[in-house]
Amino acid sequence: MEFKTVLTTCPYCGCGCGLLLEVLNGRVIGTLPSKTSPVNEGKLCVKGWMVHEFIHHPKRLTKPLMKKGGELKEASWDEALDFSAKQLKEIKERYGPDSIGVLTSAKCTNEENYLLQKFTRAVLGTNNIDHCARL
Amino acid sequence: MSQKVKEHLKKLLIEKKIKGFLGLRETNGHVMPHLFTRPEELEFLSIGDWKKAGGARYPLNQILIQLTIAYPEETFAVLVRGCDERGLRELFKWKQLEEEKIIPIGVGCPDELAKTCECEKPFPDCQIDGPKAEKAEGKRIHQIEGMRLEERLQFWLKEFNRCIKCFGCRNICPMCFCNECSLEEELLVEKGDIPPDNPTFHLVRAMHMVGRCIDCGLCEEACPGEIPLRTLYKKITEIVEKEFGYKTGYNLDEKSPLNIIEVK
Amino acid sequence: MAKKRLTVLQKLLQFSGIHPERLRMRWVSSAEAAEFVHEITEFVEEIKRLGPNPLKVKEAA
Repeated sequence: MEFKTVLTTCPYCGCGCGLLLEVLNGRVIGTLPSKTSPVNEGKLCVKGWMVHEFIHHPKRLTKPLMKKGGELKEASWDEALDFSAKQLKEIKERYGPDSIGVLTSAKCTNEENYLLQKFTRAVLGTNNIDHCARL
Repeated sequence: MSQKVKEHLKKLLIEKKIKGFLGLRETNGHVMPHLFTRPEELEFLSIGDWKKAGGARYPLNQILIQLTIAYPEETFAVLVRGCDERGLRELFKWKQLEEEKIIPIGVGCPDELAKTCECEKPFPDCQIDGPKAEKAEGKRIHQIEGMRLEERLQFWLKEFNRCIKCFGCRNICPMCFCNECSLEEELLVEKGDIPPDNPTFHLVRAMHMVGRCIDCGLCEEACPGEIPLRTLYKKITEIVEKEFGYKTGYNLDEKSPLNIIEVK
Repeated sequence: MAKKRLTVLQKLLQFSGIHPERLRMRWVSSAEAAEFVHEITEFVEEIKRLGPNPLKVKEAA
C-alpha cells in the first residue's frame, strides 16, 4: 500500500501553479493545491483542481484514428504516419510552409515539445507553432 | 518536529498497530500529505508549520476517507489539530469513517495561530504534544454585525463578486463528501456565470455547512478571491449553537440537527 | 426539518444584509382557504413595506 502526494506544475495555463497529485498505489485519485508554492500559495482555479481527471480518463485516445468515409476509424501507426507525411508534404509544396500551423500541448513533456518544434521549424520550415499554456 | 510524536508513531508502526500514519512530510522545502508506512520515513515528518505556524495545513481527513474506502479492514493513524478532531467526530457520525479503525495523533496549535483562526478550541482531546492555547476572541462576526443591513449586503455582494467559481472552498473542505454536489446542479446554479449567482451560490454553500463546518479555515486559505468565507461559516456555527444548542464536532453522542443517520 | 433549515436561513439572510422577514414559512392546509388568503395578503403588505428586492435594485443600478 502506498499513498503519496507528488509536487508538480499545472499543465493548463502559463501561470505554473504548484499542485500536488494524490497518488494511491500508482493511480492518481485527486488534486490538492500546494500550500508551499510561491506562485499560487495554496490556491487553484477550477482547471487546476480538475487536473487529475484526464490522466486515467477512459475517453483518452489509445490508437490512431483516421477519417474514412466521414467517420473516425481506427488505423495502424504506419497508415496514419504515411498519410500525414504525404498530406503535409503536398500542402507544403502547394501552399508554402507557412500555410501549416502546429498546436502542441503543455500536457506533453518538454522533450516531446522540443521534438515537435524541431520538426515544425527544420522539417516543415515554419515558425507557426504554439501551445495551450500561452493562453 | 516533535520527538514525542515521532516516538509514539514509531512504536505504533513497529508494533503493527496501524497500517500507516497519514500525516505531512517536508521535502526540499515543500510540505505535503504523506502516508508513512515505515519508521525510517518519520525523519521527514512535519506538522504543517511553514513560514508560520500552520502555514501548510491540508485536509487529511478527506484523504483518510479515500484510504479507508480502498482498505476498509485496515487501521490508520492520522495527524489531528483541534479542528481536525472536530471533523473526525462529525465524520464518524455521518458514517464516513469508523471510529474503531482510526487512531488520532493530536497536536495543539500555538497562540498566534489560535488568534488568527479565532479558534474555539485550538487543541484536540487526544493531544500528544504541542501547546494548549486559550480560546481566542471572535472579532470577525462582530465587525459584520456592527454594520446596518444595507451596508452588510453591499459588503457581501462586493466580496462574492470576486468569486471565480473554482470550487476550491468545496474541494478542499474536509467535511464535504457528497457524491452529487448541489452547487453543480444546473437547476440551482446556472452554468457559465462568473461570478456565480451573487449571493445565492455562497448562501447555498453556507446552508450546506450547517452542522458540518468545523472551522478549520482551509476554505478561506484556498480562495483565490480572498473572500472571507470563514466569517460566513462561523456565523452558521454560531446560529446552530444558539438555535439548537449543538456544537459541531464536540460530542460523539449528539447528532447535528440535520443529521438523520442512526448514530448507534 | 424544514423549519430547522428555515430558522438558520433567516438568520443567515440577516447576517448577509437581507431582511429576514422577506422569507416566511407557515403551515396552511388546503382546507383552510381563509387562513391562506389572510397569510398571503399579510405577507404582501409586509413585502411592500420592506420595499423592492435589494438584489434587483442593485442590478438595475
